[in-house]
Amino acid sequence: MDEQGLTFGKSLTLMHNDNRLIQQLQNKDEYALSLLYDKYSGAIYSVILKMIKDEGKAQNLLQDTFMTVWEKAEKYDASKGRFYTWVYRIAKNKVLNVLRKTDPLIQTDDFSVYTHKEDAISIDSEYLELNGAITKLEAHHKEAIELVYFKGLTHKEAHQEMDVPLGTFKSYVRQALKHLRESYAKTLGLLLLILNAL
Amino acid sequence: MDKKMILDNGLLEQYLLGELNATECEQIEQALASDAELKSHFDQLEEDFESLGLENAITPPASVKSQLLDQIKSASNSPKVVALQQNKRSKFYLGVAASIAALLLVGSFWMYNQLNSVQEQLQTVETNNSELNSTIENLNKELESNKTLYAAIVHPDTEQYILKGNTQMPDGKVVSYVNHNTKSVVINTERLPKLDDEHDYQMWADVEGEMINMGVISKDTNLMAMSYIDHAESLNITIEPAGGNDHPTVERLVTNVYLD
Repeated sequence: MDEQGLTFGKSLTLMHNDNRLIQQLQNKDEYALSLLYDKYSGAIYSVILKMIKDEGKAQNLLQDTFMTVWEKAEKYDASKGRFYTWVYRIAKNKVLNVLRKTDPLIQTDDFSVYTHKEDAISIDSEYLELNGAITKLEAHHKEAIELVYFKGLTHKEAHQEMDVPLGTFKSYVRQALKHLRESYAKTLGLLLLILNAL
Repeated sequence: MDKKMILDNGLLEQYLLGELNATECEQIEQALASDAELKSHFDQLEEDFESLGLENAITPPASVKSQLLDQIKSASNSPKVVALQQNKRSKFYLGVAASIAALLLVGSFWMYNQLNSVQEQLQTVETNNSELNSTIENLNKELESNKTLYAAIVHPDTEQYILKGNTQMPDGKVVSYVNHNTKSVVINTERLPKLDDEHDYQMWADVEGEMINMGVISKDTNLMAMSYIDHAESLNITIEPAGGNDHPTVERLVTNVYLD
């Protein structure tokens, strides 16, 4: 909980600087990119790794993602959403493009090939483990979030993967997010309590 | 697209996760822009997904960042690189031009110095040359005079008279060569004792009791021609004040010889 609090606190502190940093990034300030990279690269790298399950490819994709962030920075519109969401989408699209390019066999072959291939890829299992609030969720909630958020599956793909109706799957996601929200709000409350005490 | 439909269908989540197509995205964005409550819900969703991401962060190797920054530098500098290269090229040409100018300057200076030194050398050579010329001239004169003197001495008609020093000049002597045909007198003064700067030896011819000047004897040479005096009975040498005298100082007669 403390660790979570710290991470969250860190993100809160950094959030204030984000708008200015993003403006600087849009003005081609390399230092701003460097700081935003420091803040978000870990989260993005984690998503990429969990999707592609190959460290070398993941590192290339991470670099590629932030290169796009640098080049297309002016296209980011803060009124439409958070910077992190924007970067997340860029990374996810890049990974999906690579997976689609390299996995035509998987699409046509039966499911066992997919699992077989998954096993064949050597990656430290630690990279695939989840941390924080999500680990406290019920298994099906956790899986729902993991599939759409960390594995890059669409809702349609994910409900098939979980073998539940789409509507059920959507409610899994909604429930999971509700629990996460409560967990983070508790952390936030704790953090505010600490801040007040100080 | 109404709010309930969006929420019930989990469209915000799908929008956030980038699963929707462009048209759907636009619809969601419109709905978000017009509905503050929906927007706040979406903000919450974004925040939670971000927290989820940050909680699960895996620090990538530092090499990724350094490569990224390198890539950005080389990419963003590429138009500048051209400019830089042009700049470098023009700098190169400027450098070449400056080098040439510097070389020319140094070269000019060197040549100017060379010219000066050559001029100096030329002057020295000219001086040396004129010195040599005058030396040659002198030598020629000397040679001529020596030839003349030699010719006079070795002439078959030349008579030799020795003027022996008297008591005033016991160790000195002068050898004289007299030729009555060619009317020349040459004397060898090798054995004349040296005189101080205020005195000179002067030679006189005695013609019927009168002493006639034959000339002052030079201190610089051992062999010299004197004036031939007709009908001279004797040759006499006196010591006189420097530069010679009109009349001989008889008291200071150092030597004489009678001519036959």
